[in-house]
Amino acid sequence: MRKVFVIILLILVGYFLTNTFSLITFGENRIGNTSEEKNVAAYYLNNTKEKTSVANVVTAIVVNYRGFDTLGEVTVLFLATTGLGSILFRRKEDEDQIERISKPSSSLVQTGSRILFPLIALLGIYVFIHGHLTPGGGFQGGAIIATGFLLMLISYKNFKAGHTMLIWVESLAGITFVTIGLWGLLTSGSFLENTLPGGELNNLISGGIIPIIYIAVGFKVAAELTGVLDILLNIKPKK
Amino acid sequence: MVISPVHYIAVPLLAAFLIPLLSKFIHKELARIVPGIVFLYSIFISITLMLQIGDKGIISEVIAGWQAPWGINLVFSPFSGFLASLMSIIGFLIWLYSYNFKKIDKEQSQKYHILQMMMVTGAIGIVLTGDIFNLFVFMEITAITAYSLTSFYRERDGAEAGFKYLLIGSFASVLILLAIMILYTQLGTLNMAEIAQKSHLIPTSLKTTIIVLFLVGFGIEAEMFPLNGWAPDAYSQSPGPIGAAFAGIVVKAGVYALVRVIFTLFDIHGAYDFLIYGGLITMIIAETSALAQTNLKRMLAYSSIGQMGFVLMAFGIGTHQAIVGALFLMFNHAIIKSLLFMSGSYLTYNSLTKQISALSGLGKKLPLVSILFGIGAFAIVGLPPFSGFWSKLYVLSAAADKNMLLLIMTILAVSIVEIIYYFRVVSTLYYGKQNPEIEIQKPSINAMVSMIALGITILVVGVYPDVITNLLENAATALTDKATYIQSVLTQNLPIN
Repeated sequence: MRKVFVIILLILVGYFLTNTFSLITFGENRIGNTSEEKNVAAYYLNNTKEKTSVANVVTAIVVNYRGFDTLGEVTVLFLATTGLGSILFRRKEDEDQIERISKPSSSLVQTGSRILFPLIALLGIYVFIHGHLTPGGGFQGGAIIATGFLLMLISYKNFKAGHTMLIWVESLAGITFVTIGLWGLLTSGSFLENTLPGGELNNLISGGIIPIIYIAVGFKVAAELTGVLDILLNIKPKK
Repeated sequence: MVISPVHYIAVPLLAAFLIPLLSKFIHKELARIVPGIVFLYSIFISITLMLQIGDKGIISEVIAGWQAPWGINLVFSPFSGFLASLMSIIGFLIWLYSYNFKKIDKEQSQKYHILQMMMVTGAIGIVLTGDIFNLFVFMEITAITAYSLTSFYRERDGAEAGFKYLLIGSFASVLILLAIMILYTQLGTLNMAEIAQKSHLIPTSLKTTIIVLFLVGFGIEAEMFPLNGWAPDAYSQSPGPIGAAFAGIVVKAGVYALVRVIFTLFDIHGAYDFLIYGGLITMIIAETSALAQTNLKRMLAYSSIGQMGFVLMAFGIGTHQAIVGALFLMFNHAIIKSLLFMSGSYLTYNSLTKQISALSGLGKKLPLVSILFGIGAFAIVGLPPFSGFWSKLYVLSAAADKNMLLLIMTILAVSIVEIIYYFRVVSTLYYGKQNPEIEIQKPSINAMVSMIALGITILVVGVYPDVITNLLENAATALTDKATYIQSVLTQNLPIN
């Protein structure tokens, strides 16, 4: 009875949502009149190049126009790791019983992942350093690096992601982000304001604070996701 | 440095990122002390800014130097400022109470303090932001911390409550995000002032969908019936001070978001009736369920849901006086329910089941805590001369002005139910037989200070309600005055070149 009710409810909700979404035509140009003064999307497209010297408009929106949101998202990730750590933390006396849940892997996998790991890390670093020039950025680069660590964690049973190092990277990256924000507040009167010179468009060093923030985000995301994986993969076996 | 609203967010964030380093490399105790300093600083900002805006002013601060609607802005109006100040103060008292709280110190107290500080910061962010997507981000911050704090004790029931809350809360987040998405396809802006200005341009069918999605999403956070399944478990399984934080801070942020969407973003009158009926049903069901509870914390949780229903209903009446009453109720609920949770969690400290019968005769063993619990119980049912009386009076007279007789009768009937179950607890406390087997836990001095501060506030506001009514009047005016809100956010809105 309950299941029937749930299915009917789901069908109803699905019907109304598809109805609503069919009203929003797919692929339509929604930017509208680009010369209109208050058009937000058009403003971003027309002004990003001159005002921030960032080639990737999406990055400019994520890190500068809406940088406060990004700071919030980074915090969400930080809190998720902290919360997970508080729920799944291991008492000192259990420390020696902890086991990696993955099965032992063959030497083929082990050697392969040792070759792949630096390459994956390099790709991740490339993605977040070039966040303001090419597609991708801090979150994507950080996630790529974390997959490299995941590969190492599942292929080597005794591989340990250094906790002290993770704490350092995580905290320093977060502090960098907030300090840049506070620096803007002190010197220009607005939190996260781009205070550094823009430089030349399309250069690696351009865009003022934007690449610095994105690199910090990259390190932070990599450290946090690695921390999460490390917590989740190490468990105390049931007796 | 000039004090501005962004300090509310930036300083706690800096502290949260610093704490792991400080506690590992300088001194372990810093992890517990730093959040207290941050809360004191938040209170300092509140006082400075509240004095600055005076009676009517609104501070609109831009972030990253981009004027609204291109960037994100924070709005400190008498309304949002009042809530932010309230949250800072309650946040500080909860920190003071949980400092040296033995059960927390057995676990990861460093992480507890980071999470508790960020939960308050997230709620303050929800209240201050002027951007609908930014509001979503802060709601995520509050929600994620709330999930993990619910299961902080790592017991079976706590894990279940936390997981339930996680599922329902994530569902709410998805709905809110969907609503924001549809809104953005229609208006091309995320700034709340601009949405308020342009919301009449959205076709009706889409507007209905957006509003329904928002109401359900924020309704879950605001404990509206039938969306409050997470609340009783979360309240009763979380650590005592976190129950106080849910009642005093997290739910307030949900109610704020609901009210902001209905009053400012879409000014539609059908939604007012929805608030009245939703609030009324929530109140009746929650208060009758509270009557049936034998577990003290669950009883307090249901009472909290009922009170939030009352608040929503008062907002739904929609007149100036009713909104003042609703804000007064929110203020009262924040201080009284925090006090009840704080004192209640010491009264049931060593009881595993937290049954009301475990309180039997504790009035003599823990006299001060029991008196404080009694003050809270009398205040929440609305007896004079406690502060709860005035808020109920405001709402009742506002309802009387609108000739809503049925509403008045229901409120009074529900109050009787409230009196029955609260007095049952108080009489168990004082007239119950003493059980020699119950081990009591004496509260630490700082916890006592925090509870006494709340108790004194209840008495002072009860005797001189004028200390707070001026603030409430200004806040209510700021909430209903949509034109000033839009104007103060969008005026310096000419391109900066």
